[in-house]
Amino acid sequence: MIAYTLRRFLALAPMMLLMTFLVFLGLELTPGDAVSFIAGPEAMANMDGSQLAALRESLGLDDPFLARYFRWLGGVLRGDFGYSLTSGVPIARIVAERLPATLELSAAALLVSTLLGSALGLASALNRGKALDQALTVAGMIGVSVPEFFFGLVSILVFSIELKWLPVGGRTRPEYLGLWDRLPHLVLPALVLGVSMTAGVMRYARASMLDALGKDFMRTARSKGLPEARVDLVHGFRAALAPIAVLIGFRLPMLIGGSVVIEQIFQWPGVGSEFLAAVRGQNYPLVMTIALLSVLAVLAASFLVDLATAALDPRVKLS
Amino acid sequence: MEGETLVRVRNLRTYLYANGRCNKAVNDVSFDVRAGRTLCVVGESGCGKSVTAASIMQLLPPLARIESGEIAYRSAEGELRLDRLPRNGRAMRSLRGRDLGMIFQDPMTALNPVYSIGFQIRESLRYHTRLGAPARRAKAIELLADMGIPLPAQRSGEYPHQLSGGMRQRAMIAMAMACEPKVLIADEPTTALDVTVQAQVFDLMERLKRERGTAIMLITHDMGVVAELADEVVVMYMGNVVESGTVREVLKSPAHPYTRALLGSIPLLGRGRSQRLEPIRGSTPDPFDRPPGCQFAPRCPRQEPACDAGLPPEVEVSAAHRVRCLFAKEGRDGR
Repeated sequence: MIAYTLRRFLALAPMMLLMTFLVFLGLELTPGDAVSFIAGPEAMANMDGSQLAALRESLGLDDPFLARYFRWLGGVLRGDFGYSLTSGVPIARIVAERLPATLELSAAALLVSTLLGSALGLASALNRGKALDQALTVAGMIGVSVPEFFFGLVSILVFSIELKWLPVGGRTRPEYLGLWDRLPHLVLPALVLGVSMTAGVMRYARASMLDALGKDFMRTARSKGLPEARVDLVHGFRAALAPIAVLIGFRLPMLIGGSVVIEQIFQWPGVGSEFLAAVRGQNYPLVMTIALLSVLAVLAASFLVDLATAALDPRVKLS
Repeated sequence: MEGETLVRVRNLRTYLYANGRCNKAVNDVSFDVRAGRTLCVVGESGCGKSVTAASIMQLLPPLARIESGEIAYRSAEGELRLDRLPRNGRAMRSLRGRDLGMIFQDPMTALNPVYSIGFQIRESLRYHTRLGAPARRAKAIELLADMGIPLPAQRSGEYPHQLSGGMRQRAMIAMAMACEPKVLIADEPTTALDVTVQAQVFDLMERLKRERGTAIMLITHDMGVVAELADEVVVMYMGNVVESGTVREVLKSPAHPYTRALLGSIPLLGRGRSQRLEPIRGSTPDPFDRPPGCQFAPRCPRQEPACDAGLPPEVEVSAAHRVRCLFAKEGRDGR
């Protein structure tokens, strides 16, 4: 177990190196650079070559590609994530401000979709072919096909504007900072994001549960005279759990990236909108840091998925 | 009491439904399962032997139904009509595991891979006895030891995949025997095991029969197993009982052409490689397009037009031997 963790940890380094390099390369290959965004097209037309060159030099953009990559990498290794090219604010501060909001929203949505999706998938499988199953199948189909922004806007209209139950958007009122005060702001975006993610979990849980229901050991459990509820839950659902855990585990990286669309609609001050702006503005220190966090989250998630699978299925050995 | 009939099956008909068609999988089957005796139900795949067992346990697939006939179980409180109990109702559940134990064909798939052997044995104890958790734990280990599993305390905490095939089947038997059921139904318990392990499992079942007076219903397709273990035999073909009786009668003087054909198709050890095996000609008919009369008629060497007129009645050849063939009384010596 310890050796396994250590090995996974060591494998992390080359993966991170490769992924960050590819993202850096991707940014390099995009036409234009941060200067063209900061200065704007009109100013660009009026500035002469030496002024632009001076601006590039001041931002360190005049160095060759590899030199810039390694300078960034060196900084990261020393714990220095650099400064935003557009605002000059330290990246660490931006992330520290924005990341908690995104984590809060995504974790809530993940929780909603996991609980709701597993429960509905279970109910669907146990009522296979009946009205409930068919209704949930249709609802799932709608859930997958309706875009989140539409769903988000409709729910704002209904719950915030018409019913006035919940705030329209934002994360908190300035005068309050406690969790309890933040909760009403969280409910709507978390539900919208959670419900739109539920359909996938539900369909997956249904398939996994149906698979378990068809297994021989279910008949064995019945042959012992166990009540149906115990047969379905303790034997069936427990056996169906490992594949569901894998699906949910691989959604963990979403915690970092968040949902750009939902953050925009609910004016949620998270990483998503910041990331979008940074990519558009070629603000590479910020893009790279968020990319780094995402890669880290993906790798951490796959590690967690392995641990969860091993914990849920005794046949799986960590090696 | 030894020899007492515990399960009485009379004129059982269980039909399976699929794609709007009906398979009369079990069609007029009768037999008794007696305390301290082994009843072997023999027949090839698809003859309805497993469906018969599932009917007794009420563990039929959703699209199967007991159409008519009776399954009566003599419980401590009097006779119970199992066929009339709701499938997963409280009464049926309290009998399963406590009075009626069942062993399945493949212990690898029949045991839940995510729970330890001990957990799965303790489950029956939990629902059918008043034992507390520590007592259940001790009892599970004792059961494993009884079934000849070495290091039972350690094995109890292991998962099915950590055990060998034979160990798994012993664990399965320990599970089925946890509450000392009066009737043990074993559905081809050794098909997935190799021959030496098979002998060990049968030894164990023999011991249970002898020591506890358990009534055993053993489903098999192996005539060798029948000769070895059975006290009574029921030979099934395409949903019918074609021949039944004591093992001595049936094996010594088989009266149904199908039984004779089955016995003629088995190689005998010691007769050398020159012995002639007679395969049964033809193949089993489509269950959805059955012969009109005797189900075996199209493959039977003795077939006559009368065989297709309707299912032949059961004929008593002797007090302990019944055959469903028009020619049961004649030509018992010839082939």
